[in-house]
Amino acid sequence: MDEHALLKNYHEHPEVWDEMFGNADIRSHYKNFVGAIENLSPEEMTRKDEQAKKLFMTQGITFTVYSSGEGIEKIFPFDVVPRIIKADEWLHIEEGIKQRLKALNIFLSDIYHQQFIVKDGIIPARLIYSCPNFLREMVNVDVPFEIYTHISGVDLIRDHDGRFYVLEDNLRTPSGVSYMLENRSMTYRIFPDLIPKNNVLPVKDYPDRLLKNLLSLSNRQKSNPTVVLLTPGMFNSAYFEHTTLARMMGIELVEGRDLVVDNHHVFMKTTRGLQKVDVIYRRVDDNFIDPLVFQPDSMLGVPGIYWAYRKGNVAIVNAMGNGVADDKAVYAYVPDMIRYYLNEEPILKNVPTYQLADADNRKMVFANMNRMVIKKTNESGGYGMLIGSAATEEQMDEFKKAIGEDPRSFIAQPIINLSSAPCYINGELQPRRVDLRPYALYGPEGVDIVPGGLTRVALREGSLVVNSSQGGGSKDTWVLGN
Amino acid sequence: MLSRVAESIFWMARYMERTNRMLRMMHTKYISSQDEVTDFSWNSVLQTYSDLKEEEYTLIEKDSSKVLEHLVIDRENSFSVINNITRARENARSVQDHITKEVWQCLNEYYHLIREPNIQYNLQHGDPVTSLDALIRHGMLYNGTVDITMAREESFNFLNIGRFLSRAIITIDLLNIKLKEYNYELEKYAEDATWRFLLYSLSGYELYLKTNRGRLHSELVIQHVLYNTDFPHSLLYSMVRLNRYFERLKTESIPENYKQLEFLIGRCYNNIRYSKVSGNSDMLKKFLQQTRTELFEIASLFNKFYFGNT
Repeated sequence: MDEHALLKNYHEHPEVWDEMFGNADIRSHYKNFVGAIENLSPEEMTRKDEQAKKLFMTQGITFTVYSSGEGIEKIFPFDVVPRIIKADEWLHIEEGIKQRLKALNIFLSDIYHQQFIVKDGIIPARLIYSCPNFLREMVNVDVPFEIYTHISGVDLIRDHDGRFYVLEDNLRTPSGVSYMLENRSMTYRIFPDLIPKNNVLPVKDYPDRLLKNLLSLSNRQKSNPTVVLLTPGMFNSAYFEHTTLARMMGIELVEGRDLVVDNHHVFMKTTRGLQKVDVIYRRVDDNFIDPLVFQPDSMLGVPGIYWAYRKGNVAIVNAMGNGVADDKAVYAYVPDMIRYYLNEEPILKNVPTYQLADADNRKMVFANMNRMVIKKTNESGGYGMLIGSAATEEQMDEFKKAIGEDPRSFIAQPIINLSSAPCYINGELQPRRVDLRPYALYGPEGVDIVPGGLTRVALREGSLVVNSSQGGGSKDTWVLGN
Repeated sequence: MLSRVAESIFWMARYMERTNRMLRMMHTKYISSQDEVTDFSWNSVLQTYSDLKEEEYTLIEKDSSKVLEHLVIDRENSFSVINNITRARENARSVQDHITKEVWQCLNEYYHLIREPNIQYNLQHGDPVTSLDALIRHGMLYNGTVDITMAREESFNFLNIGRFLSRAIITIDLLNIKLKEYNYELEKYAEDATWRFLLYSLSGYELYLKTNRGRLHSELVIQHVLYNTDFPHSLLYSMVRLNRYFERLKTESIPENYKQLEFLIGRCYNNIRYSKVSGNSDMLKKFLQQTRTELFEIASLFNKFYFGNT
């Protein structure tokens, strides 16, 4: 590999799976791509890198950080080198996610109705009822087609043995799908012709498939039901995504203040008076969606919407109360759910998870803290997390104290060495850690996964945290056809 | 269409119309300041487009670069161009799914353009015309982008209602600024050469020359600015267009609301159409004042009946 200027400093880490290199050679599915860029001069690559930044800026693909009154536009860092996944690997992932979502969906339906899984002693009742995201308000609510997890963004990571593990299921309001779409259109511009030449499967169908599912949820016998996307507003960091999706699907983007509930039906305020709403794809969290039932001071929700939902007059996507299946302590039971509900062995493995409510686990974890990641069960976005190998004594003591006070809220997992993929940094390719978030759509006709997803990158050298709030970026993700 | 969306599009268009006209006016005014005029002052402009107090703006009124900085890039001045563009963009941002991607990107670029250091440098220390030209050109790009990409549906109607309502108001304001400079003494300044600056500001000088064979006279200028329906910045033209886009809302409106606005717009239009004020400065002053009030009444009825702000 010494002959390629871009690759001369590309060093593999012995304990990390590299997406591009294996056995000191470029993996077969990367060869085509590397062949296309290896003769590019560093200036040319830098020009492409800058072109990408400029395109993101002028297209307004930014998130806004507000300080001192004026919004500062930041782009979600984009790395120009795509991450490539082989066809057979993808089929494995696809199958695994479908299986998982099927089980999780039955679990949600079960847990909010008869609770067989608790009665049969598979999951302790204590775990469910101590979960703050278990909504009593959802008990015995019948949701359309018994689907709870219409949209999920399952986080996958790859360990040093090359196997994929599920890190999180993200069944509430997963974000980032617009970046999957935008990253792809960015690659068209930066590397003309490369996508068709590599036989990359398209991701552009995502909005159409989502809309089809949303339309099918309407309760009214009507040819064109009203579907809206409920956003918390333009100050939300994912606002760009909300507008992009609404535009691509051709549906109305509404805020809480645009909706009213009358006689358990939801309406939006239009220039022609009130218009009935049938399906709401909401990007507002459970807690904020109805001030009459949940957080009373929420300005983002719609008073009365919960009862309209409960009566089946409006469909809400995703269903409320999914957080119970997203809880990191409940996550540990997903393999058991798959066995219990489907009578199958899990295709995708879980990362081993130790609940710290258990005294033995606690002892073991405290003894090996430098090899563990400790996470709060209800946090996401890289918050409330301690990576043992990078933590100071003080931080560890702080966590130990917090765990002692409330052990139910913490879990521990062994540190998984995320796989690395090449990134264009400082004029050459360097390995950086990545994860993968494919987006799965669950409609009346089953689970449908667009071939691709969002690959997030920890742009800091040696870092394992890929969240955008913690210095992460993203790349285009190519799934190759056969 | 959502009331909130209609309102945002309406205001986006209003801020952009203001932006374009202010830039053109400053361009003209700045060039005229270089044109051997003794005792040149920005006083009348600052009265209209600054929120400084009189004792504050009299301090800078003769310093073109300070005035331009204040009117174009000063965030403290709520009338400044940068604030107009920022607000237009914020409005566009919240209705991205109702305007085209091109319009949104154009406004977004406009915002980044005015924040560019060389635009700001040229305004303050270099050649302001370069900066103003660049901004004006981008404003024209916006208008072209709107016309060529937006679907002719409800959002386009609200956009144009906002645009022509603002245009009518601005035409009145610019005429007022001119009249103030002449201290409303129409007869004394009937053939004054600086009438042409008003026409430049409204992008109407060439048409005026063609229509009037080169003769510059206050009565003809006022006639042109108020009544010439071939001139896209005249008051009457703006009203005709406003009325036309309003009529297109008819099928989309609640009938009672539509009726009330129809009455107000019809009255205002006829008051302009059948007025005759160009020679008499007192009548002219009163007429402009009354029309302006009526235009604001129209705006507030839109606010009430279409944007749901009661």
